[in-house]
Amino acid sequence: MVYVKWVFLALFWLIVAGFLHYTLPQRDIVRIVNTYEERQDVTGWTRMFWAASDESQAKLESWDVQFIQAVQPDGDPMVYRNEDTGWGWPPYFKFDTANLYTDANDSVSTKDAPEWYAITHYGWRNEFLSIFPNAVSIGRVEGPDVRLVPWFNIIVLTVLAAFAWGIWVRWKRFRKNRIEPTIDDWTDGWG
Amino acid sequence: MLAFLRLVVFGFLILSVIYVVVSLWSRATRRSKLEQEWEASGRPGDKETYLTEGMAQYDRSLRRKLILLIYVVPVVAVSAIIYVTNFM
Repeated sequence: MVYVKWVFLALFWLIVAGFLHYTLPQRDIVRIVNTYEERQDVTGWTRMFWAASDESQAKLESWDVQFIQAVQPDGDPMVYRNEDTGWGWPPYFKFDTANLYTDANDSVSTKDAPEWYAITHYGWRNEFLSIFPNAVSIGRVEGPDVRLVPWFNIIVLTVLAAFAWGIWVRWKRFRKNRIEPTIDDWTDGWG
Repeated sequence: MLAFLRLVVFGFLILSVIYVVVSLWSRATRRSKLEQEWEASGRPGDKETYLTEGMAQYDRSLRRKLILLIYVVPVVAVSAIIYVTNFM
């Protein structure tokens, strides 16, 4: 029975970690090589990896999606989608998709004269599921070796941990002071 | 537009639940602290009067008004994110 508990706990923390890893912003340093737009069939369970920024889009089964093609410093390719999040989840409140597309097109550089950009994005690239991280903003950086400190994530995770800990401690205290004595009362004399 | 209304309505409802829970919790904490205070300071006068006066003081306090930050902070955060994402 002890395994059930461990599997349950591991699954719980895996889901929490996965959710945060998907939702929180990350920055990649890349060279932008091209942009393209392609109609995507967005059906099935992978739909949640695509934007649904408003009610009308939520009813659609396919729409045109902008993509930003990039190459990482080690030569590996990375493709980002460029979609509004609107007022929906995750709460990036991104409305400037067209502007970002323009910036991305303006940032294209060649292998011979590379310009490096930090692309802020959330989400995952997965070839099997055909899902792409959503680019949120791009900014020029000095070179491929620039060290970017994820201050935003540090603050968010710290605050989140503090809240979770605070609620956990209070719940434990509540259980000890209120629930356990009551159960002891009910089960008094049960041996 | 509907998505915006949905965010506002559900956001308001969720924040209101948090506000009510935190308010009740804060009152309960204050009250039990007052009870302890009353015991510790040699039980001056009637306990109920002591508690009523203490809670009336709490009702006027800054501490209670600070709970309104539950509404203010998310609105400021959302505005900041909108600015950073779209205009920076």
